[in-house]
Amino acid sequence: MISIQTGDVDISRLIHDAKQRGIGAIVIFDGIVRNDDIREMELEAYEEVALHELEKIARDATEQFNLQHVDIIHRIGRLAVGENILIIVVGAGHREEAYRGSRFIIEAIKAGVPIWKKELTKNGGRWVPGEHGHGLGSLR
Amino acid sequence: MRVRVRFFAGFRELLGNEIIAEVSEGTTLPDLIHQIALKNREGHNAIFDEHGHFREYVILMRNARRIDIADAAKHIVADGDDIAVFPPVAGG
Repeated sequence: MISIQTGDVDISRLIHDAKQRGIGAIVIFDGIVRNDDIREMELEAYEEVALHELEKIARDATEQFNLQHVDIIHRIGRLAVGENILIIVVGAGHREEAYRGSRFIIEAIKAGVPIWKKELTKNGGRWVPGEHGHGLGSLR
Repeated sequence: MRVRVRFFAGFRELLGNEIIAEVSEGTTLPDLIHQIALKNREGHNAIFDEHGHFREYVILMRNARRIDIADAAKHIVADGDDIAVFPPVAGG
């Protein structure tokens, strides 16, 4: 499942569904709203482009690391501290491919998917700066 | 001729989410965005520098394809274009 959505997901259900013949390792990445003295986090996406880019990242990772299963669920909207922001489920034959595939996906998302985060504090809000100055490095 | 311009994140807060603009033949991409951004000085200054050039961090997309800001002036907008303007991404 590749999705941009406001609602949360049942991670145990995703793991259950990822288990299939030939899978020897599943790696879960769960990005969470950290308590950096904020009240909430607001996430915004250029949805049609972001979804297309997540699908491309999943295809690239599958091909490059011989993955057998990929889920990427990125949430948008207002999220409280402790809530899930991004869940990546990667299934592969062996742990090495699963770990590397998961890492590839999260780094590609941070580098190139048009999604933004705003930390809402008691004094207002601040946009989280991107880790990659220009962003969208892979989009052409 | 009618085009849609969308802003995201901090740019959206300053300039609005979506603007449907009537433009004349021959309007370039920078001209279009410049005209729209003039409605809010802070928004304009977030996108353009003091010489009227796009700031280096600004990202442009035309019909879901990235446009290099150095080449933006070569792009003449066309009827039905969907333009997106946004700052560096920060998902994940």
